[in-house]
Amino acid sequence: MTKITDLSTFNAVREAGMAKLLPPNPRIAVGMGTCGSGNGAEAVYHAFADAIGQRGLSITLARTGCFGFCAAEPLVNVWIPGKPLVILQRVQPNDVGFILDELSAGRVPAGLALCRVDEWDHITGHVKYGTGLQEIPLWNEVPFFKGQKKIVLRNCGLIDPTDIEEHLAVGGYQALYKVLIDSNPVSIVESIKLAKLRGRGGAGFQTGSKWEYLQRAKTGQKYLICNADEGDPGAYMNRNEIESDPHSLIEGMIIGGFVTGATEGIIYVRAEYPLAVHRLQAAIQQAEEYGLLGDNILGRGFKFHLQMVEGAGAFVCGEETALIRSLEGKAGRPTPRPPYPAESGLFGKPTNINNVETWYNVAPIVVKGPAWFAETGSPKSPGTKVFSLVGKVLNTGLVEMPLGTPLKTFVYDVGGGTTNGRAVKAVQTGGPSGGCIPQEMFDTPVDYESLAQLGSIMGSGGMVVMDEDNCMVDVARYFIEFTHSESCGKCIPCRVGLDKSLYYLNRITKGKGTEADLATLDDLSRMIRDTSLCGLGQTAPNPVLTTMRHFRHEFEDHIRASRCRAGVCEDLALSPCENSCPLHMNIPRFLQLLKEDRLEDAFVSVVMDNPLPASTGRVCQHPCDDRCRRSGIDSSVNMREVHRYIADSIYNSPRFPDVVARVATLRMAPTGKRCAVVGAGPTGLACAFYLRMLGHDVMVYDSNPNAGGMLRYALPDYRLPKEVLDREVELIRLMGVEFTFNAAVPAVISLNDLDQRYDAVFLAIGTWKESWVYLPGTELTGVIPALPFLEAVSKREKVPLGKRVIVIGGGNAAIDSARTALRLGSDVTILYRRERKDMPAIPEETEAAEAEGAKLAFLATPHRILGGADGRVSAIEAVRTTLGEYDASGRRRPIPTDEIVRYNCDTVILAVGESVDIDFAKASGLKIKENGLIEVDRFTLETSRPKFYAGGDLITGASNVSNAMGYGKKAARNIDKRLTGVKRWRELIPAFTYNMAVPAHPSDAARHHVGELDAEERARTFSEATVGLTTVEAMEEACRCLRCDVRNGDH
Amino acid sequence: MPSSSLIDYAAPRSALSFEEQDFIDRLIAKHQGKPGMLLSLLEEIQERQSAKYLPMEYLEYLAGRTGIPGSQIYSVATFYALFNLKPQGEHTVCICRGTACHTRGSRDLLERMKLQLGLVSAEDEGGADKLSMTTPDRKFTLRTVACFGQCALAPVVEVDHAILGHVNERALEREVEALKKGGA
Amino acid sequence: MPSKISIRIDGELINAQSGASLLDAALAAGKFIPSLCHMKGLSSVGACRLCVVEVAGVGRLLPACTTPVQDGMNVTTQNDKLRRYRRTILELLFAERNHVCAVCVSNNHCELQALATRLGVTSVRFPYTFPRVAVDLSHRKFAQDQNRCILCTRCVRVCAEVEGAHVWNVVSRGVGSRLVCELNRNWGDSRNCTSCGKCVQSCPTGALAEKGFAVEEMTKRPEPISRLANLRGVHS
Repeated sequence: MTKITDLSTFNAVREAGMAKLLPPNPRIAVGMGTCGSGNGAEAVYHAFADAIGQRGLSITLARTGCFGFCAAEPLVNVWIPGKPLVILQRVQPNDVGFILDELSAGRVPAGLALCRVDEWDHITGHVKYGTGLQEIPLWNEVPFFKGQKKIVLRNCGLIDPTDIEEHLAVGGYQALYKVLIDSNPVSIVESIKLAKLRGRGGAGFQTGSKWEYLQRAKTGQKYLICNADEGDPGAYMNRNEIESDPHSLIEGMIIGGFVTGATEGIIYVRAEYPLAVHRLQAAIQQAEEYGLLGDNILGRGFKFHLQMVEGAGAFVCGEETALIRSLEGKAGRPTPRPPYPAESGLFGKPTNINNVETWYNVAPIVVKGPAWFAETGSPKSPGTKVFSLVGKVLNTGLVEMPLGTPLKTFVYDVGGGTTNGRAVKAVQTGGPSGGCIPQEMFDTPVDYESLAQLGSIMGSGGMVVMDEDNCMVDVARYFIEFTHSESCGKCIPCRVGLDKSLYYLNRITKGKGTEADLATLDDLSRMIRDTSLCGLGQTAPNPVLTTMRHFRHEFEDHIRASRCRAGVCEDLALSPCENSCPLHMNIPRFLQLLKEDRLEDAFVSVVMDNPLPASTGRVCQHPCDDRCRRSGIDSSVNMREVHRYIADSIYNSPRFPDVVARVATLRMAPTGKRCAVVGAGPTGLACAFYLRMLGHDVMVYDSNPNAGGMLRYALPDYRLPKEVLDREVELIRLMGVEFTFNAAVPAVISLNDLDQRYDAVFLAIGTWKESWVYLPGTELTGVIPALPFLEAVSKREKVPLGKRVIVIGGGNAAIDSARTALRLGSDVTILYRRERKDMPAIPEETEAAEAEGAKLAFLATPHRILGGADGRVSAIEAVRTTLGEYDASGRRRPIPTDEIVRYNCDTVILAVGESVDIDFAKASGLKIKENGLIEVDRFTLETSRPKFYAGGDLITGASNVSNAMGYGKKAARNIDKRLTGVKRWRELIPAFTYNMAVPAHPSDAARHHVGELDAEERARTFSEATVGLTTVEAMEEACRCLRCDVRNGDH
Repeated sequence: MPSSSLIDYAAPRSALSFEEQDFIDRLIAKHQGKPGMLLSLLEEIQERQSAKYLPMEYLEYLAGRTGIPGSQIYSVATFYALFNLKPQGEHTVCICRGTACHTRGSRDLLERMKLQLGLVSAEDEGGADKLSMTTPDRKFTLRTVACFGQCALAPVVEVDHAILGHVNERALEREVEALKKGGA
Repeated sequence: MPSKISIRIDGELINAQSGASLLDAALAAGKFIPSLCHMKGLSSVGACRLCVVEVAGVGRLLPACTTPVQDGMNVTTQNDKLRRYRRTILELLFAERNHVCAVCVSNNHCELQALATRLGVTSVRFPYTFPRVAVDLSHRKFAQDQNRCILCTRCVRVCAEVEGAHVWNVVSRGVGSRLVCELNRNWGDSRNCTSCGKCVQSCPTGALAEKGFAVEEMTKRPEPISRLANLRGVHS
């Protein structure tokens, strides 16, 4: 070890370090930050050490910090002299042998490579690794790193953090040397001010100004403090910075000491970061040994001592006055400013506190100058900021981006969108002091001012991505729970105010909140924000205020409809499956009843929850599958098919009339009220059934000659045989619902007629208008819309279909059209403009279509349809697309290329979506929205006209059967409440007694799938393509249920 | 800075052994006058105990030796989450309640652990999320931490100082079962 | 020699000593700004937040007790927002502990009660917490009832700053914060307490009281303590 006293000793140490970094033999460095170690880096390191020792290889093995891409840990750097540094990802101990084989042979294991680094700009230094290996992407070509600029993280993951010589080799302590030689503290402060470096702890105060105050303070003792009490949940950049590059922090502080005249420095680190504490302690000791810290720094006579103190777990100590009190041996309760720490801080002496990251920016500014620093970032907020990108995002890790980068770049480009394809809902920035920014505002540039405008803050740089499965009320509650338990208790607004805020939020998440609670919560939050003593209290209401501002509908859902769409608030849901079901079927109940061998009870349970159980049992989109907790073990319970089994079993049983009679006994006494339902589709049928069961007289009008709507006229027989639908309609009819067919509203019966004759009217005519794409050639013979095509086939009408059919679209109607066309003997190709995973169709349906011989072409946007002289379609041209930026739906937007593909065909079926018949909406005289949909109250489904309700596709646009039925059910409930003035809904659903215990041994069986006819065979016929579960299979599925509906204390 | 108290504790009658008194005296000498002295003293005293807590005798002695008022020491010892005034269990399960962990289901893990260890939440202790509970047999302590800074591995649980990432209920249960058996 | 400066409070021009706090300046000029944690002679902690005021040109509210006067300052101490906030703070205090005036020794001599009356707090919107907190009757002369404590820390400060005994402090944090005697001892077992009674006289409510008084009988006299503190020059 050399004590550095002059330039020659300084350079000698640098060269020694460089020789370690670029040895004459290959070098391996394992990324061993806490997150690497948590992913198994220790084991990898030891495997390398053992194998290198055993084989006697001439390979240098080292540890390094973290390169930032946490999702790809453990990361291992390998370097062969003359070649680029290659970073390997997800290295496991059993990869070690192979990696060593390759390195010994002079090769790099390209298959494991994440990226390569030809040369690295350490800002204060530069390292050239080598060239070649073009097949591996450069580091900043990898999406996660694209756009990143590593100033703060300049050394992280590239040097050994425990070795000061390597740090010097890449330019460490160069800035300190320069500052001590130049010996001009005033000009350094000027540089920092010119660079407009703002505090990276969150408040964004000008660092240069703070330094100037301290510099001017005329007194003996001054203190410098580094705030490394990183307490924001969701932020961990400071941990990584200290773990991976402790010397840059030390250097920044020594420079600060020299400039401001402070001789004592204190680093206040969280004790929860043991590795950071350890590395920092070691680094301080090393710096002292090398003469870079202590009484005579670099032989220039300057004295600076650095000490580390471990914080003992108090979030509020991130507040500077609380931190100072903590260092004074007191509880960390903030004290009022003035006096500011610069006048009277630690032990009453002038003190300056900066965040870890602020200190890391010092050396680069000193070496490169303020103009260079200001080149990056936005004018008001120059430079970069390190963010921890975590939560529901694919690529998690530490991201250093120029300030002012839009939020969507973080979420979609760097983060790669969500892990499970769900839509991103919001990003939470700034931890408990910050707020939630909704997806619609992702264009916002990330800097101090823009975030503050949205009610959030940048804070220490935590970015937690949230998707549809996160409830924003719960998020607000979570943060208040956090700040509530971290409040120091000194001032009343924060201490008691947060306690009461938590009370209201708890109440709302339990479904017991009121609208008045929202107003009180809002008042209280503003009061806490405006009157609290310190930053913790002043910012603690931000999560509540921002979620109430941007996600008010979620609060209203909880309060008015006792509904938590995300399914997070447990008290508002029976079970995850029930919560996700648009009809809110009590799924665990019918599964348990079946398990208890009570088939008829199970049927009654099912039919009272869902009056079309056999139809939905075949065609529902089954959102329940995505939520089933069983999928955490193997795969979800096949709930849809179990209720299909239950319904089919009863419909085909001789006991059917008895069961019908039993259901009829559940009907309530006649009320004498008369209701009309317009539309006999699934929405109308559901509403009619429930209104009838509630005791009202119900008349259903439909323009078609039979009931079922889309179920009858759009769904092909092979998916839903008409006999099944007939049985279900029969049951509804047997309950006493009356029908008038061939009666269009308002053409045959006007709304005024209905108004006069009925006490309530429910409109559910659905979306029957096929959307039309406007592309050249749609006027040609042979271009047909999907719905009329499917309708004609289902009515057994003759359809002129060619031999080669192209279907345009990716929804269920497209797949239905394709499979129908196949059955009519055509050759079918489906063109879809996005990727397969973006298709709205049920995935099983797409697979079935493929198995039956349909061809699929993705990333193909129709361009024009070509016709022959006879005016018939002869071909279609499609433009190949590539995937571009993420759009508002969180899917990547297709971008057209120059490539055009031609498909010869004689028929084109357009299945690009259905829309509401605007003429009806206009003629109805009801208030409509811009897109032609009827406007209703979100909670009651009332239209602008008294007595008139609307639901289903008419208010949502084209959706699916179960969603539509959900509206029918909801309308019935609200109509009944209006007609009778009482809430009678709960009385309608019969009580069942059944076992309420969590099964000790749920069945180990794998999920049972429905039987399918052989693809070739079924493609020739319209008979049903699937065979339902057998009795044994259905039973076993029921036994696989984990019974999430059973709560503690239920048994 | 240490404040003087009215009563002289220079020769306290301590319940501590001379060895322990000597330990504390040395500790005080090491940290005397430095910023963060009291925190460091308490951290080291707690670390020395096998049950990782601050026994009252130590605090009494510390107050006497340093002249720091007892009320101030007690205030500090109860303010920071890291300090325990009660003996901790042989094994510690610490569940991270950071934002990333919360959005990935750490509350369910916490509830599961409470059930498995037979711990009933003390309702009166403010928020249920700030918690340190020890089983009556002192075998397990269940705690929460605001954030481990391991957010990329969420949800994270620390079992006896080893970090486990991407934990699910089953994996955690198995881990705790193994500890139960191992120590039996 | 402190110089005189002039500031404007609620439109009225008043003279103040430079270096004085806004609160002191206002009180000296006969202006009323509510506060509970402030006590003349003791250090100011800015804990109760009742004294927040608006200062022209400053974007946020400032506590009058810890804000020094500056020449030309234009201060608003009364407006709808401030009144609303102050009432809310008092409501929160009432909801936090168990303030039952009818059985309190300090009834009709209680600063909290008096302030609530003056600011027109007639009901509490927030749900009461009803915490279970300790009553300590172990001291031979005094009683401590945390049901009535508002954590103003006047007792903590007077004991440390004037008496120098450091008997009191606040333990734990957030809503769990409690007054504590030394290392969690009963007051009667205190080693440092001189039984001077300064804490009792400083307490704005009935949380600290002399024994032997019935409901409404306890009156407090903090003024001599303030005078003593000023004489000693502990704090202005």
